[in-house]
Parts: sequence; structure tokens; C-alpha cells
Amino acid sequence: MNQPISSLSRRDFLSKTVTGVGAGMVLGAPTILRAAEAGSSDKIHVALCGMGKQGRVLFEAMSNIPGLHFQAVCDIWDYNRQGGVAKVKALQGHVPKAYSDIDEMLATEKGLDAVIVATPDFWHSPHTVKCLEAGLNVYCEKMMSNTIDGARAMVKAMEKSGKLCQIGHQRRSNPRYRFVLDQLINGNKICGQIVNINAQWNRAVNSSRDIAFSPKLTIKQDILEKYGFKNMQQFMNWRTFRDLSGGPISDLGAHQIDIFNWFLGATPKAVFASGGRDFFKEREHFDNVMAIFDYDTPQGGVRAFYQVLTTTSAGGGYWESFMGTEGNIKMSEQTAFTTLFREDSAPSWDPLVERGFLKKKAAVPKPAASSGGAIASYESKPPEGFELPGDLPMIKLASGYSPKPPHQPHLENFFAAVASQGAVKLNCDARHAFLSEAPIYYVNPSALSHQPIQFTPEQLSV
Amino acid sequence: MSTETEPCCATPTQPCCATPNLGLTCGALLLRLWLAVRAIQTGMEKYAGTSVSDQPVKMDGSANAYGLSTASSVKEYAMSHYHGVPAGLMDKFKAEPLMHSYSLGSFTLDPLKIYDVVLGPTLLVLGVMLLLGIATRTSLFLQGLLYISLTWGLILIKQDDGVSWLGGHLVLIVMALALADHNRFAILKKW
Repeated sequence: MNQPISSLSRRDFLSKTVTGVGAGMVLGAPTILRAAEAGSSDKIHVALCGMGKQGRVLFEAMSNIPGLHFQAVCDIWDYNRQGGVAKVKALQGHVPKAYSDIDEMLATEKGLDAVIVATPDFWHSPHTVKCLEAGLNVYCEKMMSNTIDGARAMVKAMEKSGKLCQIGHQRRSNPRYRFVLDQLINGNKICGQIVNINAQWNRAVNSSRDIAFSPKLTIKQDILEKYGFKNMQQFMNWRTFRDLSGGPISDLGAHQIDIFNWFLGATPKAVFASGGRDFFKEREHFDNVMAIFDYDTPQGGVRAFYQVLTTTSAGGGYWESFMGTEGNIKMSEQTAFTTLFREDSAPSWDPLVERGFLKKKAAVPKPAASSGGAIASYESKPPEGFELPGDLPMIKLASGYSPKPPHQPHLENFFAAVASQGAVKLNCDARHAFLSEAPIYYVNPSALSHQPIQFTPEQLSV
Repeated sequence: MSTETEPCCATPTQPCCATPNLGLTCGALLLRLWLAVRAIQTGMEKYAGTSVSDQPVKMDGSANAYGLSTASSVKEYAMSHYHGVPAGLMDKFKAEPLMHSYSLGSFTLDPLKIYDVVLGPTLLVLGVMLLLGIATRTSLFLQGLLYISLTWGLILIKQDDGVSWLGGHLVLIVMALALADHNRFAILKKW
């Protein structure tokens, strides 16, 4: 039966997330649910640490989740801080407390349950560790840190504090990704043996240029230096500096390389990378990077190629392609980039279509052979195309209907875990995120040295 | 004999002065109907919107456990969907200097907002008046003024195709006024 879209109540939210137990997404906790219905005092009190671009993306996704109370906003930049305060006021009708320093916020604010950390990468680890040590649950954006030691410190702090620490690899909570892994790859093994992975995030030059700022909004130099920035240009464009971030391979690539490891259930044994400053010649980080990861899996060897290009959008945006002997799953957060192909020699997928696991795509007309029989005899038959059977649910916003934002399920998982005091399991806690992220820290060193890096267990462990 | 040559009524504007002509009467009725339908349906569309519903994807006959869903949308009419001026055009109008609001002491007059509110109901009322034949000349004239106002707006934002389109409407209104003497089946023939 069709369900009209409406605003979810807190009760609906919790009951619906708990319904996902069967999918392994969450675990129910009836006593928590009864308490959750008690009243507004039961709300989850949240502080927003970092209200820049990504902080705003997360806030927009959280604004659809019932039962949250945004108690404080923290950002060193007046512009972001005031913008964040205005957004919170517009959502919940009263002004949250505003701070420019996280230490002051943690010392002053009482009754906080969780902090959303969306500060620059080199602040992720110090901020997350501070919050965990203060007894707060943390949702921290990926990449965990700009250094592997920073990431290790986060795992240790999470485990020492006993608090929850979710890392923002939001695909881990995406129903489409979870379904593909559980049902198509592991359950029905539609790929056969996965022998190769190919993925990319290609972004046009115009989307990769330095972010400009109004001189009137410049932060005072002593404040910039206090928080680790040489100047306002560096503050605005920290993603391009080696001491502040991992560059495009961690900024964009981390999301997708995480999926390699998650879907294969393995970490790579080696990486070989190449990169260059091909267009943005003044930048510290490479603007284009290509990396090949070698995996040993129980099924056999897998090579995973990843490229992040911040200089061209050619090649069709961002996606991950899992190539197997019997089929290929080309996935993306963007539904339009998602297609599944069955090899001609593979068993029919029609039974899966009948069961509702797949939808058949309209057949693409075969191009007329122009090269004659000699070359055609070496070609494979064009594979059959399929689609996933569904998408994220629609939600009603002030501007109309829209698919649920991609970060929302991951945040819902985090808050369900907070509300249930850990009975609901996080989909990507700091330890699991570390296992996935650790190999990424070696991509830039490999590209700089032009040498492959064979991983030792110590390199990839906490 | 003399009575046969005298006017049938005191003033030449009275409908009975028109020479009965089935073709012109049909023409008047068709124009009236076209313009009425045009106005009524355009007014109704101002209340049109989309209702979206989600359906859980069924796997092996039951709802999937992952939260995958398929959305279907249905067009519906409701007061809550009302939008006088389409959102896309509204943004362009707001950027026009001639469309700004006026401050009258503590009261702010925003002509664009007022126009947005009254456009739909006005189209509906004038359309229904025309359909039923209530003061046909007056309703045609008012509808002409309304289309002129729309034309002015489209000139401002350089929508030349729309200006031509509305010009065609105005020609039809003028033709309907010219044939008004042949109008029949009207509830209120006066005005």
C-alpha cells in the first residue's frame, strides 16, 4: 500500500529505524523507545562543531530527523557561526548558544549528548578525541584525520571512553549499497567471482577552483594562527594543503575506496599510485591521482583501480564498478549512474527480476558491425542491463518532494545508536572506518615516491 | 407599412437590433466558450500540485527490509497547492525594479504579492461569468484587462513568445466583443 509522504514524528523515526533490524541496520530497544516517547526532555542534545560547507550539508540532513535539539554551534569564523545560528533558529525557533572555541563550548555546555564534527580534516582527530573524553558521542566527517596516527588516536579514544564514534562514510548506511552487498553480491552472487574494481570521481576544473572570500569577512590573523592556518586563503582552501588534509584522494576518494574494502570484506595488500599537479600547479596536493590496490580475497586476487581527477568531469561523474566473471555492478550514490550488467554466459537473472530484486533495463540497440567478421569474432556479446528495484524514500520539504539526502540514513543510524545507548549498532564506527581508511594514507606517499607500497600488518592496524 | 421599417427597439445597442444570424450566433457562442474554458482551466491549474507517495519495494512478496522504495506522483488540486505566479517567473519578477514593494507608513504594499494572490481566483470568476453569460461584455472587457496585465509582466521579463500568445487571446476577446450582439443563452444579458 502506498504511504503518503509526511513529516516523521520521533516515534515514527525510532520505530522505523528499529524495523530495520532484519537488515542488520539497527537493533531494537523497547525500553528506550518508551522513554523516547516521554517528552521534549528526552530529545538528543546536539552541538554542531564546524558550520562550513559540509557542516551545513549535515545540518540540512539532520533537520529532517525528529527528536534532535541543536543546543550549540561552534565555528571560529563569525560568518559560519552566525549562519549556523540562523539556520538552527529557523528550524527550532530559538537561538542556540554560539562558540568560537570548542574547549569553551565543552566546558560551558551541560547536558549535551552528541557532537557533529565537520571541521577541517586536521582538526577531526583533536576535536573528536576531546569530545569523546568529555563523555560525548561523536559523528565525525571522513577522512578521520589528515594523518594515520590521528585516526589511530580516534579509535583509541572511542574504545577508552566507551562512547559512540561514527565516521561519515555515509554509503555504509545507504539502503541501496546495503542491499547490493547483502543480497546481490553475497546472497545471490550475481557477480560470480569479483576480479576487478574500477572507480572514479572526476570533477570539472570549475568545481575544483580555490574558494574566494570577501576581504570584509577575513578572520583576524591571531585567530587564524591560533587554529593552525597561515592566512585566510589557507583557511578557505585547507583541502589543498599537505599539512591540513590528504588532498583529493582522501577528500573524494575515501568514500569510494571505503566501499572497495567493505564490499570485498578485505583490506589491500599493496598500493601503487601516480599523481601530478597537472592543472593547479601551485597546489601542494596533486590535482589528479590514480591508484591501484591489490587484494587477496578468499575467492582470489582482485585489483582495484581508483582515479580522482579534479581537472575534468569527463568519464561520467563518480561511481564504483564491481566487475565479476558473471556480472558487473556499477554503483553510485547517484541513481542515474547505477547499472548492473549480466555477462552473456552467466545464469539468467530473470528469477531475480521476478522476485523483485532487480529491474530489467530497456535493451540498447546493438550497433551495426562495421569492422567485419575478423575483429567481431573477438568481441564479447553486449551484456544485458538491469537496474536496482528502488531508491531512498522521498521526503517532503518546504520546497517540495525530494529523495532523502544521502547523509540522512547514516545520521539516523548514529542518533538511533545514541538514543538506544549503543543497543543499535553503528554502521561505521571509528574502528571499522580505520580499517577502511588506513590504506588511503599510503596513496600520496606512493605517488610521491613512484614506488609501490606493500602493506605490513602494523601499517594497517591501530 | 411604415411599422415594418421602424427600428425594433429604442436604442441600437439592444440585442434585438442585431439581425438574427445563426452563423454569427454560433461564432459568438464558440468564442465565449473557448475563452471561458481557457480562463477556468488556467485558474484551476493555479491550484494544481503533486502528491508523492512511496511504496516499499516488494521482494519475495513482502516489503524489503532495507528501506528501498519506489515513488509515484499523482496530480491533485488543493488550496494548499495554490501558486498564482509560477515560481520560476516569480523570481524574475522580484528582480525587476518596477515590481518593488512600496512602504506606506507601517504598511507595506507589495503589488506582486497581491497579484499572485488574486490571479487564480480572478481567472476562475471571469471564466465562470463568461461561461454562464453573466454580463458578458463586462467580463470580456475585464478578461482583456487581465491579459494585458499579464502581457505587461511578460514584456518586463522578455518572454516574447508569451507576449505573442497573449496577443492572440486579446484578438479573440475583441472578436467576442464584436459579436456580443449575437450572444445567446446568457443569464444576465445586461452589461
